[in-house]
Amino acid sequence: MNLNPFEADNSVSCQLTSEIPEVCRTEDCCLGIDEAGRGPVLGPMVYGICFCPVSKKENLKDLKVADSKTLTEAERENLFQKLDEAKSYVGWALQVLSPNTISTSMLQRTKYNLNALSHDTAIGLVQYALDSGVQLKEVYVDTVGPAEKYEEKLSKRFPGIEVTVRPKADSLFPVVSAASICAKVARDRVVKGWNFAEDLGEVDADYGSGYPNDPKTKAWLLKYLDPVFGYPQFVRFSWSTAQTLMDSKAVTVHWDDDEEDGEKAAQRQNNRSMLSYFGASAGGNDQNLTHQTHRFFTDRRLKSLNTL
Amino acid sequence: MAAKKKRTPNVENDSWVVVAADSVIDTQKHDSDPAFVRLRNPSTDAASLYMLGSGDVQLYEVKAFEEGFHSWFVGQTVQRDGRLIFVTPMDPLYLILPYLIKSGKEGKFQPMDQVIMDEEFPACSRLLSCTRSLDSLHHVAEEKKVGSLKFHRYSQERTMNWLKKKVERTIIALKKRNISVGEGVKSTTYIRVKSEADNHEEDYLRYAHGLISEYISEDLSKALLSHLGLPELTSPKETEPPSKKRKLSDKPVEAEEDYTKFNSADFARKPPKKMTAAQKTLAKVDKTGMKPMSSFFSTKVKAEKK
Repeated sequence: MNLNPFEADNSVSCQLTSEIPEVCRTEDCCLGIDEAGRGPVLGPMVYGICFCPVSKKENLKDLKVADSKTLTEAERENLFQKLDEAKSYVGWALQVLSPNTISTSMLQRTKYNLNALSHDTAIGLVQYALDSGVQLKEVYVDTVGPAEKYEEKLSKRFPGIEVTVRPKADSLFPVVSAASICAKVARDRVVKGWNFAEDLGEVDADYGSGYPNDPKTKAWLLKYLDPVFGYPQFVRFSWSTAQTLMDSKAVTVHWDDDEEDGEKAAQRQNNRSMLSYFGASAGGNDQNLTHQTHRFFTDRRLKSLNTL
Repeated sequence: MAAKKKRTPNVENDSWVVVAADSVIDTQKHDSDPAFVRLRNPSTDAASLYMLGSGDVQLYEVKAFEEGFHSWFVGQTVQRDGRLIFVTPMDPLYLILPYLIKSGKEGKFQPMDQVIMDEEFPACSRLLSCTRSLDSLHHVAEEKKVGSLKFHRYSQERTMNWLKKKVERTIIALKKRNISVGEGVKSTTYIRVKSEADNHEEDYLRYAHGLISEYISEDLSKALLSHLGLPELTSPKETEPPSKKRKLSDKPVEAEEDYTKFNSADFARKPPKKMTAAQKTLAKVDKTGMKPMSSFFSTKVKAEKK
């Protein structure tokens, strides 16, 4: 598995693919979709597809790709090797979503949540297979969000393909387990070899499981939290664990487009109360007011200075 | 417990981000640096920051663009002071005028170096070194020559004409830059399809007068206002259109029609509810793919009101 395209720039999302086996272009194929690294606060989320002719389903079963979740990293590497050896009839493709892509998608102004991102990534991979000439007839997916809705959405998007969305699909369908192996192997390798763009010197690799509730991971986050710039790009800023830590340990930030209570905003900007425009004025023409700057300047937030 | 983060202490700022006219940094001719100076602001009578270019040849005004919560990234450092400072050429006559006016009260012709004196702001004498200063004094003062020496006396008449010219030039610039001068609040990015019937000449005059007033005393501003032929605005009433009065009648006041006829049976006025913090947070989140809470409950059929 050549990860160079992703490692060249690990701040963006990257598609990695195997060769398309010729038989997949001529025979009816089935395809499985699974992901790895959805829950952790560190590293990328990887979406994987694995496809082979329907006639080869049993061969895939024989490779013993089932139950990838219970496997160790070494066992998964082994299984991926086997899949790679079966390249005459097995193809795969991966979408590596960098932690930066996840953060920016979830935090952008028109919110793009993880479920939507996941759906779109899966759809993108299936489309890639179709565009490459794979004769897809069956697609099997693990659920992301409500199963029936997702199945409906995918069926609509890919008419003529039988879509099956099931929870725990990776233990039910060998193509899905295979996809799961590819995704997990990719994620493990990317995380292990992560190139920190930030100038951090020797980075402590002891970040535990990478899951937000792992105390080792939390400690690592705290260690690498910069009070102004937050975390290295290895971290998903959009995760609530990451945000809570920033709220309490990093510099306080006021974001202008956070919806603020009208009163609070007015207080903060030192606005005049509406009431001051009504009622009897204290004396003639604002003689007690200090010099009023012309609105040409105030409109443009320009002020005179009496000192630097 | 994690070790406390070490933060660089806040030091007093010693660098600023400035946008300045090219002439400010042109030090070739005089071999001295430009400098910030504190001088008397003619409008506020208090200290304001100005800049004198190399050799005191040109005067500049200093304005800071300031909004909350800004910092600058300069190279590899963070400069806490996020202001953007503008240094733009300014006519030194504005700063010289207050001294002329003060000495003009005595009615005598005087040499300028005696006129421009200020205990609080000794740097003011440098204003006379500005290229424009001595050459343009006749715009605001009467001149008398005795031998090789020149004497000056403030002239209100000349000053008014000079200021009027300033106002006119300002109006040209405002029009050229399409600056909105109307009394109504208008977004600067709002593009009007119809041509400008809204910015009346008087609006331009008042706006330009207001802008020039930033550089002269209040007394001079008032005098200029009347010199321009503009009445003073003392209360908002004067700019409002005449109120439309209905014909008075002795009949008792009655409703013209039944205003309740559009009410429907279930039209009940409820005060707009304020959203709780939790509701506000939920409103911001992208809810695609999420089941609404209500899908977990079934609604009772509402009884029809008649």
